Amino acid sequence: MNIYPEKKRILIIDDESGFTEMVKLNLEATGQYLVRAENNGVRAVDVALEYQPDLILLDIIMPGTDGTDICWSLREHEQLHHVPIIFLTATIRKNEVQDRPDDIGGYAFLAKPATIEELTKCIETHLNMNH
Amino acid sequence: MRSLSEPNQARIADFTKKLNVLIVENNPVDCAMLSGMLSKSTFGSFRLKGTDTLKQSFHILKEGTWDVVLLDLNLKDSSGLDTLHKLHEKYSQIAIVVNTGVYQDSLGLQAITCGAQDYLIKGKYKAYGLVKALYYAVERKRAEEELKAAYNRLKETQAQLIQVEKMTVIGGLASGIAHEVKNPLATILYGVEFLNTKLTPTDPQIQLTLKSIREATQKANDIIKDLLDFASLSKLTMVPESINTVIEHSLNFTKHQCDKCGIKIDKFFANNLPHILLDKNRIEQVIVDLILNAILAMPQGGLITIRTLVKKYEKKDTEGSQTDTSHFQPSEDVILLDIEDTGSGIDPNNMSKVFDPFFTTRRAAGGVGLGLSIAKTIISSHNAIIMLTNYARGARARIIFKAERPT
Repeated sequence: MNIYPEKKRILIIDDESGFTEMVKLNLEATGQYLVRAENNGVRAVDVALEYQPDLILLDIIMPGTDGTDICWSLREHEQLHHVPIIFLTATIRKNEVQDRPDDIGGYAFLAKPATIEELTKCIETHLNMNH
Repeated sequence: MRSLSEPNQARIADFTKKLNVLIVENNPVDCAMLSGMLSKSTFGSFRLKGTDTLKQSFHILKEGTWDVVLLDLNLKDSSGLDTLHKLHEKYSQIAIVVNTGVYQDSLGLQAITCGAQDYLIKGKYKAYGLVKALYYAVERKRAEEELKAAYNRLKETQAQLIQVEKMTVIGGLASGIAHEVKNPLATILYGVEFLNTKLTPTDPQIQLTLKSIREATQKANDIIKDLLDFASLSKLTMVPESINTVIEHSLNFTKHQCDKCGIKIDKFFANNLPHILLDKNRIEQVIVDLILNAILAMPQGGLITIRTLVKKYEKKDTEGSQTDTSHFQPSEDVILLDIEDTGSGIDPNNMSKVFDPFFTTRRAAGGVGLGLSIAKTIISSHNAIIMLTNYARGARARIIFKAERPT
């Protein structure tokens, strides 16, 4: 049960535990979000089912799995297909993202290292789009 | 290009070609004898001229076309192998047959090592032997020159291959590094941001520490970005653009920096320029880099002059170019872009290295040395030329594009 119903639930899936910790700290410090970090990409769908996030931040290159595959699994899942996804990746650069905003099926992209401000702005935009 | 393994049979089959022979001979009797020998010979055909000093021979060689010098080593103004050295050094493209009264095996071999094609002992040969020596010497010299040219071409190609290889390695490395380094960078950045919001530090030392960490992270990220530029240079989006517009756009990026450093910009844009097929973002990146370099060259402030014009290409437009210009033909239409500063100019010792990856004169200030190297790669992929030279008041960067005729 969500004990903070007013807070949005963010699930971040990224193999870098240090990074996910920092994202969690920063986002939760805003008072707007609850964050759950998952460092094992293989468990992404299970965790998403259990946590019921409002938005998912997804890394692309992870050991043992691929962010785009996870994205397809989430999209095809009847309980999860509506959850907005933002790709958070170090493989591309900022200006490439701007040049090709819908490189992977129209999903949002943030290039690491995006500032917390950019990250929260992007999250806001996609949460609003869904409502 | 003729292969070395297929000698031109017609050229070496007989002695019909007329040879221009300069006889440098101390002894007037010997000189007369040699002239007579050659002009009366039933073999070969010669245009002859004689002199008795090395100094005079230099004058004569400078004036006309000469195939071979018949050289006495002991002259009034020079003696021994020194004579050969001096002549070979000044006119390395001319065949030399040493003709001397001093008989010494070692001296003869040394003469060949020093660049002579043959070594004759006075009085030890007859007319046919002399004629043969002269024709053979010319042919040997020709083969040697051809070999030298082939060697130089090979060396040049090898240098280009090494350069390409360097780029490829850096490119591959860059993509790999980027992912591995950007993750920890993001972690550091977010860590600092969190501390910043949580601590609301009043202690100036803590403030300074957080600021330093943030700046260092940003700098590391910039370096990664530069490296990544190498990796993605093959992906160009070419669209016909007005170069003047691209420059104006680049100036917007650098305006703040110019104002801050007390630098004035003078623009002389031609308004009749045809559009150029280019990748706008990449060319902007190059122009911004060149302007930033100009700014850095003028810490006390100064003037940046930017000029564009369309003209018929002339060789002198690319005089001093660090890179190959052979794909530009005289009198084809080109568009010139000059960016001139009024700084201290480029150290002549560095002139040939400025485009090398990782070469920088600002290492201490954190320069990585990739800016100009990336610029060169971008410009080359536009089939254009970029070059840096010094002019009377500072350094000049020049880019030359081929003018694309509208189709």
